[in-house]
Amino acid sequence: MSAQRKFGNDVLHRWEGNPILELEDIPFPANAVFNGAPVKLGDEYLLLLRVEGQQGYSFFALARSDDGLHFRVEDKPALLPASKGPFSRYESRGIEDPRATFLDGTYYVMYTAVSEFGFRIALCKTDDFRSFKRLAFISEPGNKDGVLFPEKINGQYVRLDRPIGLGIGSVWISYSNDLYSWGNSKVLFSPRRGYWDSFRVGASVPPIRTEYGWLEIYHGTKMTSAGPIYRAGAVFLDLEDPSKVLRRCQVPILSPREDYERIGDVGNVVFPCGAIVEPNGEIKIYYGAADTCIGVATTRIADLLECTIEESDP
Amino acid sequence: MDDLPFPCADICNAGAIKIDGEYLLLVTIQSLEGFYSIYAARSQDGYHFTVEDQPVLAPTSQGPRAIYDRQGTLDARIVPLDGHYYISYDALGRHGYRLGLARSKDFRTFEQLAYVSEPDTKSGTLFPRKIKGKYARLERPWEGSSIWISYSTDLEYWGWSEVIMTPRGGFWDCDRIGVASPPTLTRAGWLFIYYGVKQTSAGPLFRLGAAILDARNPAKVIGRTNVPILSPREDYERIGDLPNLVYSCGIIIESTGDVKLYYGASNSCIAIGTTTVETLLAACLEQAGAL
Repeated sequence: MSAQRKFGNDVLHRWEGNPILELEDIPFPANAVFNGAPVKLGDEYLLLLRVEGQQGYSFFALARSDDGLHFRVEDKPALLPASKGPFSRYESRGIEDPRATFLDGTYYVMYTAVSEFGFRIALCKTDDFRSFKRLAFISEPGNKDGVLFPEKINGQYVRLDRPIGLGIGSVWISYSNDLYSWGNSKVLFSPRRGYWDSFRVGASVPPIRTEYGWLEIYHGTKMTSAGPIYRAGAVFLDLEDPSKVLRRCQVPILSPREDYERIGDVGNVVFPCGAIVEPNGEIKIYYGAADTCIGVATTRIADLLECTIEESDP
Repeated sequence: MDDLPFPCADICNAGAIKIDGEYLLLVTIQSLEGFYSIYAARSQDGYHFTVEDQPVLAPTSQGPRAIYDRQGTLDARIVPLDGHYYISYDALGRHGYRLGLARSKDFRTFEQLAYVSEPDTKSGTLFPRKIKGKYARLERPWEGSSIWISYSTDLEYWGWSEVIMTPRGGFWDCDRIGVASPPTLTRAGWLFIYYGVKQTSAGPLFRLGAAILDARNPAKVIGRTNVPILSPREDYERIGDLPNLVYSCGIIIESTGDVKLYYGASNSCIAIGTTTVETLLAACLEQAGAL
């Protein structure tokens, strides 16, 4: 079923029924719901949600849907921060922003683990989104927004992430032979002075293979005197060598405009964490809005391609 | 600076090793333009050094490395490993600090291997041997200001990172810490020197301490000095471009157990302090019960 589109200034079209999930839809006490990772399992849509509890730390819940638009949240949280064992030390302040990738016959979920030692990227896997197996922490502290490519490239696993160096937040690419140890890291793309993504950029949606290259939908921020504005953008990466940016959007593909994107715990935020490509070519992008609810917006590869231009020095 | 065959802005610190009776330092020197390079200096007695006039590791302005080291290659730490001398250094570019790895057999030709961390991670050193079949390194990611350990099977791909030592509230090392000298295996475990920073209203105060890690599981701290082993007190440690700073990248342990600690003072000169392995171990273990 295709979403009814609401047209506007953005390349992405918001569903007219947005937001698709709000605090009132959560069947247990919580502070907010945002930044969900969608997957299509058979005919069913699943959305692994970041829920911020009333204590202030985040965990994951699961929502299910038959049409990708109307979701029902399960009664019990899907994954809580580890409270004992070797993982608990780095999750004592919560787990955030899951991103799910189907690879080698299973779902890998990268998320941000938060503790007194900072935030770092964690990796777990699941087949059914009911039970999760934690594999490892795969970055040092000061790194987040990890997304895994859905295929090995030249025999290696590949990820994007967002370390902070000298206060600059760029998107980096790293490689691994085993998913545990990572290296050969390179900077992929950076904030652009004067642009809507002039302050920081970070990977958002796990890369999607298209005939034009790997599509990466990212978030970019501009700092204002009232705080950052979070918008979404798109780049296309070389299929064979994803450390090459082929095309990058000049303008954002989605900006906070609706009340539910402007008003909330962190106002002026749209933050995609995942997308589903439908058989008819429609892409459903699920995004957190104002750190308070979740919306969905749709587009097509061709529309995204059209708003990007060739990078002068790929 | 008067010892150098060329003008410079600063002499920062030095990694140290003794090879066949010759003392060798890899000294970080800041050019008048403001970029950092690493120079070799040699001595027969460990006290009187001659600095070479060409750097052994320098920033690059072209090619794929330039984006990561255009502003500097600095803070070399040397370990003997697998028949080579491995040098870990900080590369500084516009995206921040990351760890670089190079190696040499003779300190005349150097092979740059890889950048092994993302930014901002600096103050890294390898262990001089594999631990449970893996290479290991210590380092200081900016986030959290703590010392971490990571492992690798091939020196290129790194993971299994764990935090091992954090700043201690109220102490002289309360704001950030980092590895100073590469770890040396002693009877009590892996002994290494670290630096600790206390932030004051006039800027950071850099001092040196020591710690011991478990020989089999170096993620476990066996002992750590409660008080500094060296603090800025002399004029040359108090006065300079970065005043109130003592910072080391290397020690040399003589066969007698005597330790020569080479340290940068105020980012303006290199000095030497001496002690013994036993003194350092005792200083670390004295307070172990309180840890």
